[in-house]
Amino acid sequence: MVVACALLISGCAVPWARRSGPAPPAGWSSNLSRQDPALSGDGRLLASVVERQGRSTVLLQERASGRVLPLRHLSRWQPHSSPSLSWRGRYLALIVQRGGRRLAVIEDRLTNRLLPLPLPGGREPVRLSLAADGQRLALQLVAAGRWRVEVFELGGVLEVDPPGGQLLRNPGAPLP
Amino acid sequence: MTSPQRRGSGTASLGLGLTLLMAFLLGACGGTPLRPLPAINQRLEQTGSSREPSLSGRWLALISGRNGRERVELVDLELNRPVPLPGLNRPDAQPLSVSVDAAGERVALVRQRDGRTELALYRRSRQSLQPLPLEPPGVPRQVQLSADGRVLAVQVSRGGLWQVDLIELP
Repeated sequence: MVVACALLISGCAVPWARRSGPAPPAGWSSNLSRQDPALSGDGRLLASVVERQGRSTVLLQERASGRVLPLRHLSRWQPHSSPSLSWRGRYLALIVQRGGRRLAVIEDRLTNRLLPLPLPGGREPVRLSLAADGQRLALQLVAAGRWRVEVFELGGVLEVDPPGGQLLRNPGAPLP
Repeated sequence: MTSPQRRGSGTASLGLGLTLLMAFLLGACGGTPLRPLPAINQRLEQTGSSREPSLSGRWLALISGRNGRERVELVDLELNRPVPLPGLNRPDAQPLSVSVDAAGERVALVRQRDGRTELALYRRSRQSLQPLPLEPPGVPRQVQLSADGRVLAVQVSRGGLWQVDLIELP
């Protein structure tokens, strides 16, 4: 009876949450501090920011297996913050520190390009969000002493990463 | 006197020179200049302070406010106007993080209320906000919903350590 009541109560409180658990381990530390989670649009990939050798570094993993995926351009310019992924994870946008200034960048995992996105007026981003199709970017900035969100167009700069699209030109090839 | 043919050739050279100069300047800046969306940004400016953006599909969720009173706002970027979120914002709650799916149907939220920090999921078609208890218990801070609305990742403080929980939603 008590169990039935508990089930009913929890069922009312959380009718949709089916399964929850920790993010997959990264493999090198059991008590890893992990922040700023970001999922690809299809939920297949997880990006998060972890402390590695005292530096906040973005980590990209397959959610199901925990496999760590390489990010060729992002082994420096720490601290990293605010990662954001497109539908299939072709694009990873984040904020890096470059020459004493924060800069939004996008790593294209398909073409292996890094795209720095300097802001007009030399302003610096605080947080960002990339639209899943890769066609818009929202940035949180500081302007006149207050937070301000601005939206920018990426059409013509990035190809669309569609929900059912192809991540790699050769799907059978290993990820870069 | 310069012939028209030579003038044409000079103009072409000038055009090529300007193109090369622009390419050099862009390269020297080390990046692709961002193109703002003026109409949307002007409207966002009118809402006062805004932070914690979440873009997905045609939707932008964010936390906006004036005079220290903040609320969750969902903007339809195609129409450039906010949509109503009945039952989501409360005067006694302080939103901390927000995320929207690509359909604009589900909005995940971390908020402080009555001295507690809680994770909740709002469904726009039902106009209902449901708490999502964390197991084991912890204090949520940053939330992100996958664009398909099926998985939620949340940054949680447990025992002085930041962790990430993943919650699958039907």
